[in-house]
Amino acid sequence: MNDVYILAAQHISSQTPLCEDWMDAPRLYDDAYVRAIDPDYKRYFAPNTARRLGRILKRALLTSQQVMQTSAVNLPDAVITATGGGCMENTEVFLNALTPEQGELLSPTCFMQSTHNTIGSLIAIETQCKGYNSTYSHKGISFECALLDAFLQLENGEADTVLLGAHDELTSNYFRLLCRTGYLGLSPGSFGGETALALMLSGTPCPQALCRVRGVEICFGMDPQAIRRTLEDFLQRIPCDSGEIDAVMLGVNNREANDRVYADWCPVLFPGQRFLRYKHLFGESYTAPALGCYAAAVCLHRQRIPAHLCSGDAPMGEPRHILLYNCFEHKNHSFILLSSCGK
Amino acid sequence: MNRVFITGAGIISALGVNKTEVLESLRKHRSGIAPLIYLNTLHRGIPAGEVKRSNREMMQMLGMPPEEITTRTSLLGMIAVDEALQQAGLETDAGMRLALVSGTTVGGMDMSEQYYKDFLENDTRNAYIATHDCGACTEMIANRTGMFSMLDTISTACSSAANAIMLGAKLILHQRADAVVAGGCECITRFHLNGFNSFLILDGEACKPFDEHRAGLNLGEGAAYVVLESGESLRRRNREPLCRLSGWGNACDAFHQTASSPRGEGAVLSMTKALASASLSPSEISYVNAHGTGTQNNDLSEGIALERVFGKVPPVSSTKSFTGHTTSAAGGVEAVISLLALQHNFIPVNLNFSSPMKELSFRPSTHDIPAFPLRHILSNSFGFGGNNTSLIFSKAEDS
Amino acid sequence: MDELILKLKREIIDVLNLEEVSPEDIATDAPLFGEGLGLDSIDALELIVLMEKNYGIKLKDPTQGRDLFKSIRVMAEYIRENRTK
Repeated sequence: MNDVYILAAQHISSQTPLCEDWMDAPRLYDDAYVRAIDPDYKRYFAPNTARRLGRILKRALLTSQQVMQTSAVNLPDAVITATGGGCMENTEVFLNALTPEQGELLSPTCFMQSTHNTIGSLIAIETQCKGYNSTYSHKGISFECALLDAFLQLENGEADTVLLGAHDELTSNYFRLLCRTGYLGLSPGSFGGETALALMLSGTPCPQALCRVRGVEICFGMDPQAIRRTLEDFLQRIPCDSGEIDAVMLGVNNREANDRVYADWCPVLFPGQRFLRYKHLFGESYTAPALGCYAAAVCLHRQRIPAHLCSGDAPMGEPRHILLYNCFEHKNHSFILLSSCGK
Repeated sequence: MNRVFITGAGIISALGVNKTEVLESLRKHRSGIAPLIYLNTLHRGIPAGEVKRSNREMMQMLGMPPEEITTRTSLLGMIAVDEALQQAGLETDAGMRLALVSGTTVGGMDMSEQYYKDFLENDTRNAYIATHDCGACTEMIANRTGMFSMLDTISTACSSAANAIMLGAKLILHQRADAVVAGGCECITRFHLNGFNSFLILDGEACKPFDEHRAGLNLGEGAAYVVLESGESLRRRNREPLCRLSGWGNACDAFHQTASSPRGEGAVLSMTKALASASLSPSEISYVNAHGTGTQNNDLSEGIALERVFGKVPPVSSTKSFTGHTTSAAGGVEAVISLLALQHNFIPVNLNFSSPMKELSFRPSTHDIPAFPLRHILSNSFGFGGNNTSLIFSKAEDS
Repeated sequence: MDELILKLKREIIDVLNLEEVSPEDIATDAPLFGEGLGLDSIDALELIVLMEKNYGIKLKDPTQGRDLFKSIRVMAEYIRENRTK
């Protein structure tokens, strides 16, 4: 079994894009709806490449290209993409046009760019990667589903490099709709955000890698005892003693409906652990856990955890193992264990 | 060698609401393509492979109260998953790690496109906002049984279900699950009917895959799932397999967002990978269930790819001439059709074929071949954006 | 005719999202596809939608587009003769 490494990561989000400024100069928001900070795409794309691409596609393509550059992997073996909501902007244009008055006369471009896999196929076309290509769309654990597929392939050597993306956009209409369902809302210290993250993963160690991915697990259910057993099996399989874990990064977002389950279950699942958070910086979105994974990877790489990520006491010393726990709507759970490369 | 067995299968499509009905339609050459009647669209009357049940009728079949919040895609999924679980005898098995991996693209779009104005303007249809996304569909199917401890949703357009089955196999081999129910579901929506129409690839008549005068596809709908299990699980449960999932390959054409490359590059790669993973040579494949949508572009590109991979091409047919193109469900529908073909030793015919394509050396199978001894079937599913996947199904004794 | 040509250029820039292209940049007799503006098959489909939406002209056969979308002038002439709105 090969070890799995994160070689490089690039994000476009509510924090300053394509850099790690959030470590020391985090942007904090009072708004309930925050769009990602887009770089000037004209600097990166020729007009004829960009003209047909919606925002989410521009972000996906740019983060992918950047991560290929920083990792010096020119042709990954596989492209795996996660998106919970897909290309909302184009879907909306299409839905608006689907009224009887409009005569159902619709734009092929919008349709083509409304399917979830258009992100992964665009990346494949632009990078000429003819290898494995798949797209995961399972609510708030879409990223972890994609990571699991990548992990299995890297672990057994089916692929040596995987370009993994997590992309979700949030239009103003969709923000309103998701507030109605209770997923997003107007709570202080919480906001609906957007995610664009590309990771380059590899099964070969390399000195500049950010960290190791030790394991990933997803599960479904509402019984805390069953989830605890899943966690125990997960750690045992790696293997990792829970005492070695420096901190647990949670998907809390300052909203009662979301955070209650963490408050109830964390004492059972992670007794005596110190906790970290990331959604106060990156916001809530289906693939937000990808940004949590990214933040933890950067902390392990830089061997420090900034105070603004800590809920309560900061972990002591240099972090070596960070466990991520994400729970979406009390039913979909995921665990990811990241470890620093140096040992 | 890969050791993933199939112990159950369920299907609902234009050909019927279970395996028995689908098998009978296939054997009697009875197509399910008919003018659209259930979908409320300006394009009523154009031919499509609709499941001949209203949502209300399907809810009755499932014993669901009529007021329950659901979508057509998940209703189709529930019916097929029920049948698959029942055949595998998994209903009462407790303590198994059972995963559901489902492929869909339109998800709850059937309701979203009806109620989108309400979503924006009032609070009357809020429940359907939460059933819109792909994952919601998988969750509704899972909630019906309460047996699943892992859920996963794949969305790669028309290869979604095939990729779900492929992931299911990997979960079994990596011992992440004891059994996996894998496949896909998709109902016809105005959204993708009009989308395909904007590409001018809908045939106004019954589709004619691999015909020189083919004029596009007929949209279809349905759901189909297989139950995948390891040999160890079979022994533990003392079950006999229906067949084996012996090979899988996924590749990307990386050519165009909607068109296939002229030489079928991605298709060649996915078929070659599948053959390699099954340790089979091309000559050992007894039948190819083609993607065969009936569009100018797909059938030419796939046809050339088949010639490149096989040289002498084995019997080929596109059962989309029976079911229509069930998009995200297609890989599942064609997996179950392949399984039925293996079990009953017949090659499903390719309907509506009259003139061979001038670019190709082979023609699809159009007549019954009595007692054709099938051993290995290759099934292709290709999606928009070049997301190509090939699966191979083998007789269980061919291990 | 000149008015129709200008209108058509504006519509094409809009529907194909040709940022940084102005009507003056499009030569009335230059080919739209391949060289010239460098449009592709998806753009052709968008133009087919445009023809129906704005001028009530229904093209059912994608190959018909190939002759029609040779240049802005050819398109404009066809529209003038066949428009229903």
